[in-house]
Amino acid sequence: MRGTDALLAARLEAGDDHALAEVFDRFGGLVYGAAVGIVGDGSSAQDVVQDVFVELWSHPDRYDPGAVSLRTYLVVLARNRAMDAIRSELRRIARQQRHYRLTTADSPRSPGEEVLNADVASTVRAAIERLPDAQRRVIELAYFEGMTCREVALAAGIPEGTAKSRLRLALAKLETVLDRQLLESL
Amino acid sequence: MTGIERALPAGLRIRVLDASWQVRPAGKTVPEVQEISPVEAFSRAADALYHTLRALPENAWRRPAIRDLDVQGLVGHLTGVEHDVQRALSGDQAVGQAEHVASTQAAADRQAGRSPAQTLGQWRRAVRQTMTGVTAAGDLGMIIGLHGVQLPLYAVLVGRAFELWTHENDIRAATGLPATVPDAPTLALMTRLATTLLPYAALGSRLGQPARLHLVLTGPGGGTWDIEVGDGTLPEPARVSVVADAVRFCRLVANRTTPAGIDADITGDHDVATGILAAAATLAFD
Repeated sequence: MRGTDALLAARLEAGDDHALAEVFDRFGGLVYGAAVGIVGDGSSAQDVVQDVFVELWSHPDRYDPGAVSLRTYLVVLARNRAMDAIRSELRRIARQQRHYRLTTADSPRSPGEEVLNADVASTVRAAIERLPDAQRRVIELAYFEGMTCREVALAAGIPEGTAKSRLRLALAKLETVLDRQLLESL
Repeated sequence: MTGIERALPAGLRIRVLDASWQVRPAGKTVPEVQEISPVEAFSRAADALYHTLRALPENAWRRPAIRDLDVQGLVGHLTGVEHDVQRALSGDQAVGQAEHVASTQAAADRQAGRSPAQTLGQWRRAVRQTMTGVTAAGDLGMIIGLHGVQLPLYAVLVGRAFELWTHENDIRAATGLPATVPDAPTLALMTRLATTLLPYAALGSRLGQPARLHLVLTGPGGGTWDIEVGDGTLPEPARVSVVADAVRFCRLVANRTTPAGIDADITGDHDVATGILAAAATLAFD
């Protein structure tokens, strides 16, 4: 019979529910560990695990056993989904800041929402703290203050083009920092 | 990558599996295989055999194929089967009890002294007459008695596609040609028919112990089935899982290989699984 990963992939394509359970039992803890390494151990990590296995089950043909092991495929998928969660959280924070600026009445999140997002947000904030001052400043202005590039440039006293390039650099570095956190966990 | 495993939170396993199975039910294959009608499957199998036969050099028709038949005699046998199908479609009760090989032996023997072109032309016309008879019958659900079994017409047609593919490969093997694989839509109908008939084959084979078989046939045209086999009134059915390539499984059902020859991945009681696979081979008409 074929190698284990190839056989598992073929079984998943054939709609074998037992195969999915086997893959989960074999790699679920690893996928969860990879997710926790990026988004913390709250509900977001569990969401990432669900996304990874739903993706594998829905599109098993996207996994090529000749190219990479199933273990690596799942960990990389977990990393990508966790990074998506981080990006989504950054966008959410920015939207929320813009909303606060535009409304007079402050409407804080419920305790439940706070707990739900605290783990991801704290990971992101910790990563931002590690950026060089100039890059941290533009990220804070753009995402936490909800400013446009033009507004960031004015507030920081730099040309708009410089603000854009600093933002790009900061975001790239942010991903590298968050990626490194993942790599350290692998 | 070494990776850091973490203990999973309680309930995550069932949550993930349930979410997955809601998105895609168990047994549904990916990628999905196009559905074709049994008539189309029969037609495609006949076309494939026709193209193989048309390309054979004249001396290849004299090569031994199966039993005591050469290639030409085997094509004569297939002509005889078409004539029996037509008799069944017209309500001839006798053909329901006839034996598959004996009933067609005269048609096979008649090929002696004929040219390959005559044999090929006669078989091709017989296929067209079957298609005409099927169209006239109208109802693919009508029960047909043929060669000892009673099946709906759609199942008979899939069975005919199965036999044509099997004998095409007998001929290809006899003449040094590589084996062929049915297209995925045809194979999907073949595996579905085989798995539907498997419990009957198992009953006929008098398996010692009933079993709950989790059968996974891999590759295009495959799928996943949970099948109860054996005498269900006996307690404690064995739980066995068999994973095999769909094409190899069909070769087993055609009795062209052995249970060991399909290189199946078996979990559970190995003897019970092998017994079920051996029963599958009894579905072949030959």
